[in-house]
Amino acid sequence: MLKLNNISKKFGDFALTDINIHIPEGEYYVLLGRSGSGKTQLLEMIAGLNNPDSGEIWIDNKNVTKESIRQRKIGLMFQDFAIFPNMTVFGNIVYPLHCRKAGRREINHKAEQIAEELNISNLLDRFTQNLSSGELQRVALARTLITSPKLLLLDEPMASVDASLKDDIRKIFRKLNRKGLTMVHVTHDYREAVSLAKRVGVIHKGRIVQEGSPEEVFSKPANRFVARYAGIKNSFRVKFFNEHNTCKAKCDSNLVFNLSDGEYPEEGLLIIKNDSIKIHNNDPLKPNNYFLKGVVREILKSETGMEIMVDAGEIFYVNMANEDFKILQINELSEVWITFQPETFIVLKEKVSDI
Amino acid sequence: MLETINEKDVQESIWLTLWVSFAATFFFAIGAVPLAWLMARKQFPLKNVVQGIIDLPIVLPHTAAGIAILGFISRDGMLGKAADYVGLTFINKPAGIALAMAFVSLPFLINAARDGFAAVPERLEKAALTLGASHSRVFFTISLPLAWRSIITGFVMMFARGMSEFGAVVIVAYHPMTAPVLIFERFSSFGLKYARPASVFFILVALAVFIMLRLISVRKKEIRISPDAETQ
Repeated sequence: MLKLNNISKKFGDFALTDINIHIPEGEYYVLLGRSGSGKTQLLEMIAGLNNPDSGEIWIDNKNVTKESIRQRKIGLMFQDFAIFPNMTVFGNIVYPLHCRKAGRREINHKAEQIAEELNISNLLDRFTQNLSSGELQRVALARTLITSPKLLLLDEPMASVDASLKDDIRKIFRKLNRKGLTMVHVTHDYREAVSLAKRVGVIHKGRIVQEGSPEEVFSKPANRFVARYAGIKNSFRVKFFNEHNTCKAKCDSNLVFNLSDGEYPEEGLLIIKNDSIKIHNNDPLKPNNYFLKGVVREILKSETGMEIMVDAGEIFYVNMANEDFKILQINELSEVWITFQPETFIVLKEKVSDI
Repeated sequence: MLETINEKDVQESIWLTLWVSFAATFFFAIGAVPLAWLMARKQFPLKNVVQGIIDLPIVLPHTAAGIAILGFISRDGMLGKAADYVGLTFINKPAGIALAMAFVSLPFLINAARDGFAAVPERLEKAALTLGASHSRVFFTISLPLAWRSIITGFVMMFARGMSEFGAVVIVAYHPMTAPVLIFERFSSFGLKYARPASVFFILVALAVFIMLRLISVRKKEIRISPDAETQ
């Protein structure tokens, strides 16, 4: 459906470099990246608002790199919806039909149909200044969908919507995708990617640094940046060595981790998921080689429970359910033991300087 | 005063001033508004030089501007020759007065319209393009309606500046007399007593015209407010 082949483009000091993305028909693809990573520029390039310096854009097996915006049959919904303030909701929705010189009957019929589908029939005669963010988004979506685009591009669609409305919007997007619409959704929020994407591409400094299903990307992040995106805060620069037939990893702070058997590079990154660390308020009953003693430095509430910051020579972040936290009865400065499951360690060969 | 109002010369000069200034504003706006959009939206070589040229009439002595215009529109000048070829004369004609008025007042329209276009969020224009609009449709349906108030303000400013222009107009066309030239002529030939009634009459007419134009631009503003906002 959509193929980006070796796309590169310079924007002043910033550049999109060698972007290769292939999205089959009907796929929900989420492009994940921080603000300034180049995701919006890439989206605008697919829509035809910018042309690449090199590379090709293919849509439906047709090279559209040099084609005008109108010939691409793409719908793009902007982050702040870009609703025209000088028109009513109806005027906004039918704008693309006027551009295509559609007849009055077709215009009215399609407007009614799409308004009903998105539950905005009661808003058609209103001007847009006093609409809520959720209503504005539905208007923007209706305006984009009224010409039945083959590909829908969404630029941070949840960023300007109240938290309470996000679930409704997600439902609409899923429904559209189930109907066969190919969608490219740009976001900085990995939870959106997890909840919607069939495939995720992580973009960083104008390059796609990892691509795959959300499970693949977030369980095996390719670098520290992706790991941070997956909510993993424990990544340590280490040197690997073998001692008494045991594989070990030594941090810059001289903290040593025992590892399970396996092949390790000389140096790299050791990533430990927040969820695979357990906290005990006394000596673990069955001590093994994979525990450290530390002090609780900070306790924060998180969306899923609590996040505990433990200083055990290095700072470790541990996620914990509220119930477990209550049972544990720990406070800041409490002495605790943390245990690991070494089989969940993620080892990356790259050097920190490469990231 | 009433005697002055009834004078044919005074009535004609005021009418001439009003319609020529309006015609000059209207005619030059056709080119000036798209130029303002270009200045607001596009980057091109020597853009600063173009902006400097646009602003030049504001700082130029208007008699000097008149001399420069005269150089162009006299029979030896480039524009004069071309106009002569199609049977048009600028000197001592309303067309020459319009040119002189426009030359010194155009920056007010271009700069106001440019600021108006610059204030229109670019993403609205981008959105319209992605929805299938041509560049001209984007201009007429998005950029122009959203910058309309600034353009109207610029239009009124240009009209006002053109109407009050004396220096450039007196060089290009002493006759037919515009109101400022007539007032000057009465002052220099007959003194303050004779110039005063014509001045007061011209000021009153100008005031009436501006109140009317102001009301029109305020109505434009109200149109953009949604019915809901009015009821809240």
